[in-house]
Amino acid sequence: MRKQFITCYVLAVTLGAVSLLVAQGPAPGQAAPKGKGKGGPATPAGPTPRLPDGTVDLNGLWMGGGSNSSDITKGLKPGSEVVMLPGGEALMKTRRSQDDPEANCLPTGVPRGAPYPWRMVQYPTHRAATHIFILFEGNIHSFRQIFMNGKHPEDPDPTWYGHSTGNWDGDTLVVDTVGYNDKFWFDYLGHPHTEKLHTIERYTRTDLGNMTIDVTIDDPGAYTKPFTTTGRARLQPANYELLEYICQENNIDLVHVNAPAQLP
Amino acid sequence: MKLKLSMIAVTAGLLMMGLPIAAHHSFAAEYDSSKKLELKGVVTKFEWTNPHAHFYMDVTDANGKVANWNLELASPNMMQRNGWTRHSLKEGDHVEVVAAPAKDNTTTASATTILKSDGTKLTFMAAPPPDVK
Repeated sequence: MRKQFITCYVLAVTLGAVSLLVAQGPAPGQAAPKGKGKGGPATPAGPTPRLPDGTVDLNGLWMGGGSNSSDITKGLKPGSEVVMLPGGEALMKTRRSQDDPEANCLPTGVPRGAPYPWRMVQYPTHRAATHIFILFEGNIHSFRQIFMNGKHPEDPDPTWYGHSTGNWDGDTLVVDTVGYNDKFWFDYLGHPHTEKLHTIERYTRTDLGNMTIDVTIDDPGAYTKPFTTTGRARLQPANYELLEYICQENNIDLVHVNAPAQLP
Repeated sequence: MKLKLSMIAVTAGLLMMGLPIAAHHSFAAEYDSSKKLELKGVVTKFEWTNPHAHFYMDVTDANGKVANWNLELASPNMMQRNGWTRHSLKEGDHVEVVAAPAKDNTTTASATTILKSDGTKLTFMAAPPPDVK
């Protein structure tokens, strides 16, 4: 089965079909999961787990995200559309691939995801969580913190991940974030935003192995109206762990890049 | 050992090779996937580093001129999940490589497949387990 998987993988590379759903195998010491699926390891199956206080248990190592990281205009919720203001459109046209913050080992911001896993951590777990953390393997080792039932500061410093508060809407975690800087790009194409950006993410663990993530993006500084993206994350097998990924270590490739912002 | 370099251009429409998407920067902006580069030579260095692994190889052309090529791979974390280890390549390995050349015409390319002299075939991000070649 392993051999068959590798053969399929080589074919996929040859045909240019490698995508963010690229097949993953286990790290050393991590046994290969049984029933490996077409696009990666088998997604664990079972009902949506819950914590002792009754809230949905979102803890785990996940892969995927709430938007199309190549082009945010793909994968929108039905009825949603991305309409840029002239200033945003003009800025996007000036963007160069080598200037992409992600390519320069800076954070992806929200909702863009890196093609690496991330771990969600609810704290504490024996009673209602006060904090939820998202630990990123890449693009750099960074984290988001979500203050449950918290309040935004009146004048937050603009940051890469902003200031996030969380609440439960039934079984859906709703994360409200303001206070972003305007430095990160929404995708490889360089869709921009301003410090007026306000995001509302909705995380719904539909069963043990799957989570849907909808993200409403409201930025009156760059877009004529809010739009909502939708995506999915898959739980990684229990024997998978975050691995080290220090992007700044040897980022030598950008000297060969001199091109308009474009798809990966 | 007589080593040779050959570079074969193929039409973009055929898309003989694709460029990887699972990366932190745009490979399409850096490499020309419409061209297929075939390199045969000896590994001089293997960098098992982030954000992407690289290996370097000496390639001798028909006139005996040696060029050192820089071959970019995926990120070690994802390569590791797909069977690569930091020992998968080493200095002195004789390899045949299929790659997409950099658009800036330097001796830089994105490796698609690597065939080692012992028959092991590695790809950009996947390597077979020890019992499979």
